[in-house]
Amino acid sequence: MKTRPFLAAFVTPAALCAVGLVAAMAAILQYSVRAYIPGSLEPGGYTLSNFVALMKPLYLRVFIDTAWICLLTAFATLIAGYPIAYALVQAKRPFVKGLILIIVVTPLFLGEVVRTYSWVIVLGNTGFINSLLLKLGLIASPIQFMFTTFGVVLALVHVTLPVMVIMLAAALAHIDPAYERAAASLGASPLRGFLTVTLPLSAPGIIAGVTTAFAWTFSAFATPQLIGGGRVNMVSNLVYQLGFASFNFPFAAALSVAGLAMTFALLGLIRLGTRRFENVGQH
Amino acid sequence: MKHLKLLGMLVLLLGAALPAAAQEKLVVSIWGGSWRDLVAETAAKKFTADTGVAVEFITGGTIDRLNKAKLAKGSPEADINFTTSHVGWLYATDDLYETLDLAKIPNAANLVPEARISPYHLGTWAYVYTIGYRPDLVKDIKFESWNDLWKPEMKGKLASPDFDPSHLMVVAALLSGGDAASWQKGQDKMKALKPSFKAFYTNDANSQQLIASGETPVQVILSMNAHYMMSQGVPIQLVIPKEGAVLGIDTIAIFKGSKKSELAYKFINTMLDPAIQSEAAKMKKASPVVTNAKLDPEVAKLPGVFTTPEQWKSQAIIVDHKLRGEKTGEWRKWFAENIMN
Repeated sequence: MKTRPFLAAFVTPAALCAVGLVAAMAAILQYSVRAYIPGSLEPGGYTLSNFVALMKPLYLRVFIDTAWICLLTAFATLIAGYPIAYALVQAKRPFVKGLILIIVVTPLFLGEVVRTYSWVIVLGNTGFINSLLLKLGLIASPIQFMFTTFGVVLALVHVTLPVMVIMLAAALAHIDPAYERAAASLGASPLRGFLTVTLPLSAPGIIAGVTTAFAWTFSAFATPQLIGGGRVNMVSNLVYQLGFASFNFPFAAALSVAGLAMTFALLGLIRLGTRRFENVGQH
Repeated sequence: MKHLKLLGMLVLLLGAALPAAAQEKLVVSIWGGSWRDLVAETAAKKFTADTGVAVEFITGGTIDRLNKAKLAKGSPEADINFTTSHVGWLYATDDLYETLDLAKIPNAANLVPEARISPYHLGTWAYVYTIGYRPDLVKDIKFESWNDLWKPEMKGKLASPDFDPSHLMVVAALLSGGDAASWQKGQDKMKALKPSFKAFYTNDANSQQLIASGETPVQVILSMNAHYMMSQGVPIQLVIPKEGAVLGIDTIAIFKGSKKSELAYKFINTMLDPAIQSEAAKMKKASPVVTNAKLDPEVAKLPGVFTTPEQWKSQAIIVDHKLRGEKTGEWRKWFAENIMN
């Protein structure tokens, strides 16, 4: 067996990162079972009271709201992203392909806060959308986008869209064009060909994109914080509100642990529900 | 040629050594943005001119810096810390601060009593959280008392900070016959304020954006933010309610374990220098904390800028800083559970 001496050197940075990550997770876990002492930065003795407090209907509601926002965002991103990914794959001219790609990935180059403030300007009562609708005479008074679930989801779709498009495009690019041509030669219209051939064959990309968008949205902070304005709260905002703004680090840690457990559980459920579609298109 | 080479090496060595000597620096931990600029352009500038020692800033949010200080306990990354009075108590109770020797801070003799926060931290400038509103957008409400926030016409107009509900919690308690210690007396009053809320702002920039856009035309606002927005042309009326406005004081302290405590004392003394205090008050439209600061009359007349003992006494609601530090968690949790969610 050949030895590969460089392997250890290659793996070391990743191993160090992993150790750091595990240490941070262990610290969060440890904090979550410690008591909060008002006025002190040091946690008290071991307790499960932080997790008991999470059973309050208020917190359960925020967890449900978070899952709902994640789901809405994932599916809205899928609906918005699929045509873009399809156009990206179908485009013949490299210039058009490049243009689509640049437009799609641009949000990734903007900081989360900058991107969110842009949405505040767009969605506000005196923002771009309302000003336009008012000028066109389509509305008599501004529509309330800010501090609503709709506004939060809209801004979150912008964040998750690049990843969704890239994943869908990768899946669509792997579909053999001969299948579509075969469908057409058998008399299927382009729409029927797409619905019965392309769409099912892109299922692995859809599953990967939706799962990633869901998990990514779960940790969203700045967008619900600024667009939600304290009226639309996700778990991360609750961690900030109850933990960091009030120095109650043990409770913040318990919320984080519960959030993480919920993400794993929901992703597990999604995986279970979509298992039979995972191998579609493999040949 | 050999001599030239030797000379060249000597010059290089000296060149390397000289900056090292000039590199002596005092490290100051403070919030970023205009807060850092405020100290950099006033106290730090004078301190460097007087001592030849450079000032380096470590910036971050209140909680980030608190966590970092906690992790670096005993061997701090910074020598000086700026933070709010009640958060300063959290540092102090966690044994992160040096007990101050006021004999080494001659300018501290002129401190107003309200700025003598603890044996560990002293006030550097003061401000209020009070009612600020857009008179062009809110024409039918006259604000004279905190009670006016509860008027039915206020429905869906108000924003307050999500990071610190203590201002409204204490006001609600006072209006209900209690005080900060018996804040529970104000709980029903607080709940009755829920319809007035439109949103909760998360930082100064968010507050400024929401009032500038008119999204939340009434705010429980930091006086300095309101004055800044007014200077940018946003029509804001700042009110000192008849019950007073809630006082806030930002403080300065020396980290325990600082190896430059003598310089740190000099820095604090510079911060409390009357000329620096006047300059800082002018820049931020804040109250100076020393009695001998001469203020520009245009600044002195602004609401929320206190220059006389009478103003400190009659216009400010002062919450015990230590109690506020201890209660912040409880208040914040109650506010999040009962008002925000």
